[in-house]
Amino acid sequence: MTRTSASLHRPAPAFDLLRVPGLGRLLRWRWGRLVFQAPLAVIAAVMIYDGLTGPKLAPQNLATVATWVHYRGLVVLALLLAGNLFCMSCPFTLPRTLAQRLARHGRRWPRALRNKWLAITLFVGLLFLYEAFDLWASPWLTAWLIVAYFVAAFVFEALFAESPFCKYLCPIGAFNFVGSTISPLQITSRDADVCRSCVGKECVNGSAQVLGCGTELFVPQIRSNLDCVLCLDCARACPHDNVALAARKPLSELTNAAWPRRWDVALLALVFTFAALGNAFGMVPPVYELEAALAGWLGTDNEVLILALIFGVLYVLAPVLAGVGAAWLSRGLAGGERIRVVLGRYAPAVVPLGFAIWFAHYWFHFASGALTIIPVLQSFMIDHGVALLGSAPNWRLGAILPANGLFLLELGSVLIGFLASLAVLRQIADNAHNDSRMARRAMTPWLVLLVLVAVLAVTLFTLPMEMRGMMTG
Amino acid sequence: MLARKTATRTLILTLLALSLSLALTGCQRASQQGNSAPASGVTMDFTIDPDPALVGQTQAIVTLTAADGQPVTGATVALKGDMSHAGMQPVLADAAEQDPGVYRTEFTWTMAGDWIVTVTASLADGTTAEQQFDLSVTR
Ligand code: SF4
Ligand code: SF4
Ligand SMILES: [Cu+2]
Repeated sequence: MTRTSASLHRPAPAFDLLRVPGLGRLLRWRWGRLVFQAPLAVIAAVMIYDGLTGPKLAPQNLATVATWVHYRGLVVLALLLAGNLFCMSCPFTLPRTLAQRLARHGRRWPRALRNKWLAITLFVGLLFLYEAFDLWASPWLTAWLIVAYFVAAFVFEALFAESPFCKYLCPIGAFNFVGSTISPLQITSRDADVCRSCVGKECVNGSAQVLGCGTELFVPQIRSNLDCVLCLDCARACPHDNVALAARKPLSELTNAAWPRRWDVALLALVFTFAALGNAFGMVPPVYELEAALAGWLGTDNEVLILALIFGVLYVLAPVLAGVGAAWLSRGLAGGERIRVVLGRYAPAVVPLGFAIWFAHYWFHFASGALTIIPVLQSFMIDHGVALLGSAPNWRLGAILPANGLFLLELGSVLIGFLASLAVLRQIADNAHNDSRMARRAMTPWLVLLVLVAVLAVTLFTLPMEMRGMMTG
Repeated sequence: MLARKTATRTLILTLLALSLSLALTGCQRASQQGNSAPASGVTMDFTIDPDPALVGQTQAIVTLTAADGQPVTGATVALKGDMSHAGMQPVLADAAEQDPGVYRTEFTWTMAGDWIVTVTASLADGTTAEQQFDLSVTR
């Protein structure tokens, strides 16, 4: 491939993870994904086994500890520092890697469902089940949840030609996709010209030996991490070795109008952010008082109904009203296009704050209980007659941060997220309006929304956490 | 390709069948057996002071009574308090015998919420009695 005009080239990415000596080769290797998936599959199998047969107390079971403490803590850390590493190593999609394509000639996912509505529904649904059935307190249910993921991913992978489960259904994927829009790494082409003259477009089409992108992203056009599971199939498929997993400017995806201006995509970002509040709210005393008050007013002690009401408002009604309301006000103040377009333009601004709230909450649990996995593992080994980790579990292990450090971490996280959201909001408004006064007016309702969410988050984190549920397990 | 496909399916089905049978038979691990049944005839009583429990330091009292109503003396009594939530460090304490058959210790509830206290009494005759008690701790 000869190149004529150097000035037309985008500069090659400054940092490309796929060119890091050793690691880059491993990642691009045909079975590279398996290297990450296989250990996670083994861990998942052990978790299922322990969840179904092991201790019934959540703090003593690998299924609950690894899922609700370690998985959640590490997944947000990975998103912050690198990208969607969990999806990359996702054990549930193992069949796709192993069998390459189960149903190469399978059906296409129905057109009407090629959007985020189902993913939003399942994301909200999972968070609701989490509250209604106290999943964090039940090793047995947690184990079945993991089994359900394996089955669902496998069934949809086998029935359809692409990977609809990741893109249109998986609640973990929905969370990770939104989270990864703040990540520093993104798939891109190394040289746009090479893609321009590329005939096969194997990155998306696949070739005889290698699959193309399962979520049907086209490398030279990727500007967002939404829908990218970091499987790196594109890098393996590209015959010109032209795919990079490159560092990008912080928050650039959110300020660059990289998302499609669609209702479902915008509302996914808002639901993601409000769910961060709601999920933390589920652990503080006011939620129990609210439950009791609602039970009194409605004259029912049907807990599922009461929780459906509370979390229906928090996870669905609040984000929809807040998002559409802010877009409507923003249009009223500064003029402009349709509500959908205004909403789509500003929705990315809530993501850093939403992510920060998830991070703060998940790290509260991770930092206060990361080491509890050690005695749990010890006891697991001892129960199976393996004295590898000592003959008595050390139950005195727990936190990796002191208690007052936890609060600072939560506060700092929310503050940084708020400032980042603010920066994104300003940039979006400045991009949309030439006149800076108009830009200020257009961003005002969104500013109010951000302040409100941030204040609520800080209030939640100053309240004492309580851990309830499943008294009799 | 076809062979591999079948192999994967078989693997998955086997795993599923395995986990299903594990769930149905409810097979239990060593540390989980005889969890809530105290040793022959010994009644275990667990009280706290103050009751209901408040976050912070409290007193926990375990009373052991034999089938004939006599106090069980000379036992070693260990308490382990777990929260219902994963990732919480348990609270451990050993109770000392103050009156015949009455074992007492300070016990610190570290957080409000649902707690499960496992009391393990190693009796003088070499047997062990273990029982779990659920309670809710408030602020
Ligand atoms: S296959 Fe490679 S060169 Fe062709 S379009 Fe995709 S990334 Fe570009
Ligand atoms: S762009 Fe597609 S093929 Fe490439 S890593 Fe992302 S999901 Fe995989
Ligand atoms: Cu929590």
